[in-house]
Amino acid sequence: MFSIPVFLESLVPLFWAARYTLLISVGGIALGLVIGTLICAARLSPSRSLRRFGAVWVSFLRGVPLLVQLLVFYYSLPLIGVDVPAMVAAVFTVGVCASAYISEIWRGAINALPRGQAEAAVAIGMTPADVWRRVILPQAVTMSLPALINELILLVKASSLVSVVGILEITRASQAQAATTFRPLEVYLAAACIYLVINLCLAGLGRWLEHRTAV
Amino acid sequence: MDLLQQYGPALLRGFGFTVLCWALGTIFGMGLGLLIALLRHYGPRWLCWILQVYIEVIRGTPFLVQLFVLYYGGPLIGLRLDALPAGLLGLTIYGSPYFAEIFRAGFRAVPLGQLEAARAIGMTEASIVRRILLPLSMVSALPALINFSIILTKETVILSIITVPELMYQVSRMSAETFRYVEANLVLALFFWGLVETISRLGRRFEARVTKHLIERT
Amino acid sequence: MQASAVEIQKVNKYYGPFHALKDVDLSVPAGKVTCLIGPSGSGKSTLLRCMNFLEEYDSGEIRIDGRLIGYDAPGRKMGGRALREMRRSIGMVFQQFNLWPHMSARENVAEGLLRVRGLPKAEASARAADALAKVGLADKMDNHPSRLSGGQQQRVAIARAIAMEPRLMLFDEPTSALDPELVGEVLTVMKTLASEGMTMVVVTHEMGFAAHVADRVAFMERGELVAADTPDRILHQPQDPRIQSFLRTYHERNSF
Ligand SMILES: Nc1ncnc2c1ncn2[C@@H]1O[C@H](COP(=O)(O)OP(=O)(O)OP(=O)(O)O)[C@@H](O)[C@H]1O
Ligand SMILES: [Mg+2]
Repeated sequence: MFSIPVFLESLVPLFWAARYTLLISVGGIALGLVIGTLICAARLSPSRSLRRFGAVWVSFLRGVPLLVQLLVFYYSLPLIGVDVPAMVAAVFTVGVCASAYISEIWRGAINALPRGQAEAAVAIGMTPADVWRRVILPQAVTMSLPALINELILLVKASSLVSVVGILEITRASQAQAATTFRPLEVYLAAACIYLVINLCLAGLGRWLEHRTAV
Repeated sequence: MDLLQQYGPALLRGFGFTVLCWALGTIFGMGLGLLIALLRHYGPRWLCWILQVYIEVIRGTPFLVQLFVLYYGGPLIGLRLDALPAGLLGLTIYGSPYFAEIFRAGFRAVPLGQLEAARAIGMTEASIVRRILLPLSMVSALPALINFSIILTKETVILSIITVPELMYQVSRMSAETFRYVEANLVLALFFWGLVETISRLGRRFEARVTKHLIERT
Repeated sequence: MQASAVEIQKVNKYYGPFHALKDVDLSVPAGKVTCLIGPSGSGKSTLLRCMNFLEEYDSGEIRIDGRLIGYDAPGRKMGGRALREMRRSIGMVFQQFNLWPHMSARENVAEGLLRVRGLPKAEASARAADALAKVGLADKMDNHPSRLSGGQQQRVAIARAIAMEPRLMLFDEPTSALDPELVGEVLTVMKTLASEGMTMVVVTHEMGFAAHVADRVAFMERGELVAADTPDRILHQPQDPRIQSFLRTYHERNSF
């Protein structure tokens, strides 16, 4: 039968493991922002080969399951002589994967801006750099904040997959817990609860941001 | 070559399972999602509320954890499933809230006047759903439905973790025996890339055909 | 002869295979209002946008105060810096206002003074306030565009242009996106500007404005500049059958 004490007891260590989940997802989104911005720039650049590169990058990373990407990176990094801790490999994979989605978020936001906004700036003689810095980016960033939060939620869930390379985040910790207590139902439900709480908080944050920028 | 001969049949079988899981998972998930969307549209308030909680819970938790609850936790409450049925059930449950939300948005995009016109000529609610609401909502919902079905192809690899013998599972076994981890996973990656690109392309063509006369030209 | 603010000679423009401007000649007298009229799709916006090189023309010349815009020499594109330099003295007002929604009215107007003219913040802000007062919006300076009516937004857009102290102002159907009752306030501001001797080129469907305010009216059709003359001779005694039929359609549509 379902045992509430077991459920409550397993919450504590899992809650502690959540810091790795958060570290991976936040690290992933940070890295994803950096790479994603570069990829987006490549996709919007006048150079045809850069655009092509960006398109392939996005299509590959969105077409390949994260679990497969994770294993490819995990096994191939040592081969090319890079000996990194599993944690770094995990953040790296998650970040690279996120970069494809983030570059699309940027691109969508930038394309959604009415063309006339930039034209008005060009017409009064602003430099291209100023047009980006003062007119396009501020709006694109505010516009895409909710989508970025959404991406973060996806990463929190996706980070459960790094359990397969042995990082003790929530999912891996719950596997260990289930193996020692023989109470998988309670333990995994506890894990689900923790994910849910994290994501509901993030969703709330997203809604708040959306509400604030929709004025 | 030897490798191919040795593992070819297993890989092929794995691919079969992948397609099977994806197709059934999509069909069942879509069906359950449609049911949820309709119940939220027509059902009593308390039911809407319960379904809303269901949607939030499923969307707020990782697929892998859902599978663990189902496959390892299920037996404790008498739900003893083999890996494959557990995986299919998991995929169905996992997909249903996303599909439900897509259908809901599709319903909302149908102009009220068109439903009123149907009511005005005395159609029953059931036939309005079948003849007007569903077809019209497809215009806006179809791209999202196709898109999410494609996402589900990628989620099937997670079933390997609970030992559903699909493609990823076979590849892992093969690489564990041959120690060719990188090549095996790289090939798998390329394979999925091709698969997803192909389905996307087909999906776009299908979409264009279905919605051709439904989209107003301006 | 009067000095020309804009001198357009044999300008051609293609969109792919589509010939959008065909050997257009036009001279815009300084200190006067020139209205561009013609049926939809005739190339009015395209011609106007060529005047500040937002749209590149393929051949011919457009001279602003005697200086070729867009090209250093025929066939050799102008550098970005020189082009920006020229655009500084050409104000433009768009049909869709194109205000920047993340800035207040005052910030919209000050932005160009700050970034392009390089004025210190306080001065840019003060001049922005003056420009807004001039279009009758002294009390709405701190509103963001979303909290302004269409007519007010368009007046902010005009203020944004005049704050740069341009020598030439281009208007692309400035009242077409407005509800009828808001058209008047924008036209009033434009009339004031005209009476102060601003050189203006106005693409418009407001024949009343063209008849009463314009010094010259130019008629375009299918990429050709058919005629440019006094409002009276274009609007009341048109010789060309194309103008006659355009005006007939216009009158039919506007009588009830
Ligand atoms: N970016 C573009 N690419 C291709 N064709 C274009 C482009 N912009 C304009 N055109 C074409 O050039 C022609 C002239 O367009 P333009 O916008 O100058 O017309 P207009 O006289 O301003 O019409 P309206 O009164 O409707 O604004 C039109 O036939 C239009 O289809
Ligand atoms: Mg136009």
